[in-house]
Amino acid sequence: MDAIHLVHAPVGCGYYTWGTRRHLGDGYNWARPGVLENEANHRRHCYTTAMSEEDIIFGGTEKLKQALLEAFRINPGARGAIIYNTCSTALIGDDIEQVAREVSKEVGKPVFACASPGFCGVSQSKGHHEFNFQFYKWLLKYREEHPEVCLKEEEKTPYDVNIIGEYNIDWDEVVIVPLFEKLGLRILNVFTGNARLENLFKLPDASLSIVHCQRSATYIAELIKQGFKVPYLRVSLFGIEQTAKALRDVAAWFGEDKMRRRAEEIIEEEITAIKPAVEWYRERLSGKKVAIYVGAPRVWHWPKVMEELGMEVVACMTTFGHREDYEKIIHRVKPGTLIIDNPNEFEIEEMIETCKPDLFLTGLKEKYLVRKFGVPTLNSHSYEKGPYAGFRGFVNFARDIYQAVAAPVWQLARQDF
Amino acid sequence: MINQVKEIPIEGITYKNLKIEKKPLSREYVPPPPELVPRANRAVCIDPGHTCMPLGAMWATLGVHRAIPFVQGAQGCTTYVRYTFSRIFREPATIANASFHEDAAVFGGRKNLVRGVRNLVCRYQPELIAIVTTCSSEVIGDDIHSFLDEALDLMEEELGPEVREAVKFVVVNTPSFAGSHVEGYNRASREFLKALARKSGETREHVCLIPGMMTPGDIRELKHMMELMGVSHRVLFDISETLDCPLVGMPDRIPYYPPGGTPVEAFVRAGDAQAIFALSPDAGSAGAQWLDRRYKVPAYVMTMPIGVRNTDHFLRNVAEATDRPIPDRLRWERGIFLDAMADTLHYTMMKKVALCGDPDFVAAATWFVCELGMVPTYILVGTKSRRAEEDIRQACEEYGHQPVVMNGGDQFEWEYALKNDIPDVILGHSRCVNIAREIQVPLVRFGFPVYDRVGYQREPIVGYRGGERFLARIVNAILDHQYPDDRTHQ
Repeated sequence: MDAIHLVHAPVGCGYYTWGTRRHLGDGYNWARPGVLENEANHRRHCYTTAMSEEDIIFGGTEKLKQALLEAFRINPGARGAIIYNTCSTALIGDDIEQVAREVSKEVGKPVFACASPGFCGVSQSKGHHEFNFQFYKWLLKYREEHPEVCLKEEEKTPYDVNIIGEYNIDWDEVVIVPLFEKLGLRILNVFTGNARLENLFKLPDASLSIVHCQRSATYIAELIKQGFKVPYLRVSLFGIEQTAKALRDVAAWFGEDKMRRRAEEIIEEEITAIKPAVEWYRERLSGKKVAIYVGAPRVWHWPKVMEELGMEVVACMTTFGHREDYEKIIHRVKPGTLIIDNPNEFEIEEMIETCKPDLFLTGLKEKYLVRKFGVPTLNSHSYEKGPYAGFRGFVNFARDIYQAVAAPVWQLARQDF
Repeated sequence: MINQVKEIPIEGITYKNLKIEKKPLSREYVPPPPELVPRANRAVCIDPGHTCMPLGAMWATLGVHRAIPFVQGAQGCTTYVRYTFSRIFREPATIANASFHEDAAVFGGRKNLVRGVRNLVCRYQPELIAIVTTCSSEVIGDDIHSFLDEALDLMEEELGPEVREAVKFVVVNTPSFAGSHVEGYNRASREFLKALARKSGETREHVCLIPGMMTPGDIRELKHMMELMGVSHRVLFDISETLDCPLVGMPDRIPYYPPGGTPVEAFVRAGDAQAIFALSPDAGSAGAQWLDRRYKVPAYVMTMPIGVRNTDHFLRNVAEATDRPIPDRLRWERGIFLDAMADTLHYTMMKKVALCGDPDFVAAATWFVCELGMVPTYILVGTKSRRAEEDIRQACEEYGHQPVVMNGGDQFEWEYALKNDIPDVILGHSRCVNIAREIQVPLVRFGFPVYDRVGYQREPIVGYRGGERFLARIVNAILDHQYPDDRTHQ
């Protein structure tokens, strides 16, 4: 969040990642004296080397170095930078790591080079994987060279935890972080929603990692476990039952009765607060059929959530699920549910014809297609009006689902005219 | 309590009660070093004013009936473009991808293209496939034409010789490092005509229009004007019924294809047209000029018909090319437009306006704001264009303005200028939202891309009627922002 993200590529690669997904943050730069910018630092500007034909032919490392130095001068509030290469700059062999080292030395701020050419791996999942490994490796080195970035021994507490794989989509963090804080934990890091570089350096100094998105970030939790003996717990933070289980699991890991009791109190308090609303929605959503097509983990986070709303999951699809994700999906859905790996539009259309869902939880690109088939949708990547996680977010989730299903337009579309 | 409605269940957490505290990253505002403000002095591009070339080629392809772009590159090159189209049009956009992985990067994309095209033909039965190349396939040096020959040979073996007739192929080379999305559209306009247009020798009395990256609403307005003129016409790359379609409940059959789009046949017949109009000089003139050179179809390359002068100019040229008079009905529309301009002149005259967008849109809009008596101050032309700059100069010379033109600059440069010399209104696209909020100036959205408000893709800004709507939007934005209510009640 407080870093400069510089995409070393022709212009499009940077352009499309500029202000798209709603991974929000609270660190802002100044627009003018006394006026903060309209969006958080990491979403406000798009930095790119905008490689030209000439640069592609003669190589772009010099341009990259100069660009990064300029970016630091223009954005003095940035605490560091992450530079990414893409298909074309990887193919021409620009050494971005060398540039990162040189610039880091020159400006005295951390610079991480992430090799992420688009043709690498089967899907964006490889990008998560690569980022985790490369970032961890770099992190270790940086901690070694700059021991001051580590958490000091005397500042450590046994209740320091990392929340890993939580990207603060539409401020999910606002509901998730307080739940754990109320347990008496100190959240060192959220990897990487609204994250600050200075905190990320302290990732290995925690006592426990709580892993939410288990596709994109278990890697780093596992690495920290191997390197620093920091264990991790896998949790789901969607819906009542799963969020409650997460709190109980974490409390049980610490093994203190006080914390266990605290967990029960929090759960009771939260459930009491949201119960009337959830029941109101459940009454109206019972028996509806739902199909889910998101990245990967949410497809297995959500079947339970749908059950809590009385809905039946008829089809599950993921964009980049691995074997492990499909095992989890199969474990959590009823037998006979249709499961497709990375469907194309044609397969989605076939699914709609055969499964006839009343609701399709999917992203932006597919939602307009299935609407043509008269099927309501919900933007499940960036949410419609989040946050959706935790107890309070669950009411938002239920509300948006109800709004999608109950809108009079679908009835009007079915009428003969 | 009297007259109370039934209670609506509580909402979890609304935006209102999220209460996020904005935390500044530095103690105070530090202006950027002055020497780093102009784009020309910087290696880093901050907030680019344009995107990549393949997008333009895909945009054009999606305006053709049952046509699918096949992107020879990695998946992201397709995903993000589909994402952009979905955001702008709120419609599905079917685009196929060769799905490059490490092996393609090492051994080339032959296998991907040959197999991919075959799958696409078998499952989607398209009438046309446009192979759109990307940075990676161009850097690797894929020989697309020979791959395509091979794919066709194999498909002929498998599916029979009909396949050669049933599916047409167009190859558009669009390495992003060599130009912007505008250039991508321009190249597509040329390649489509090159691959498909023929001259049969029969004279057909119709004109072709290449709209450029106009919205569905704009294209419908063009058709409306041509109908009033009584001119038989064909809009090439007509997205008005492919990227703006009704909700039908359940399509007759799958896969879903939007009902509209320019038929392939219209491209074939373009060689016999009476004239071809490129209404976005930077996005479409290559196609028109090629047709002129090759088949002697007179090409009219003109400023987008936004505002009075540009629409007049367009219609006069249509009249000249087709030898038809301009009907009274269009004169009536022009009169209404002028009437609206007269009614609102006190709100528009001498207002400072900053413009930002693609060259064709910005050049035409500059003419329009000059006609409204507004004063253009800072004009960012997102893609460097000599033609647009000349057009802007001509307009400003005629009306006596001296704006700063940032031709091919980035938004950072433009933004900084605006912060130091705040205009009354901004004409720009959705990427200008932040700057408009920060300097508290109303933003009138137009051009590419508009995705953060609804309905813009359906509302025309071209022609007299579109101009009248555009004017109303500009004036209402100024009224909302600058005038207390009791001064707007006349």
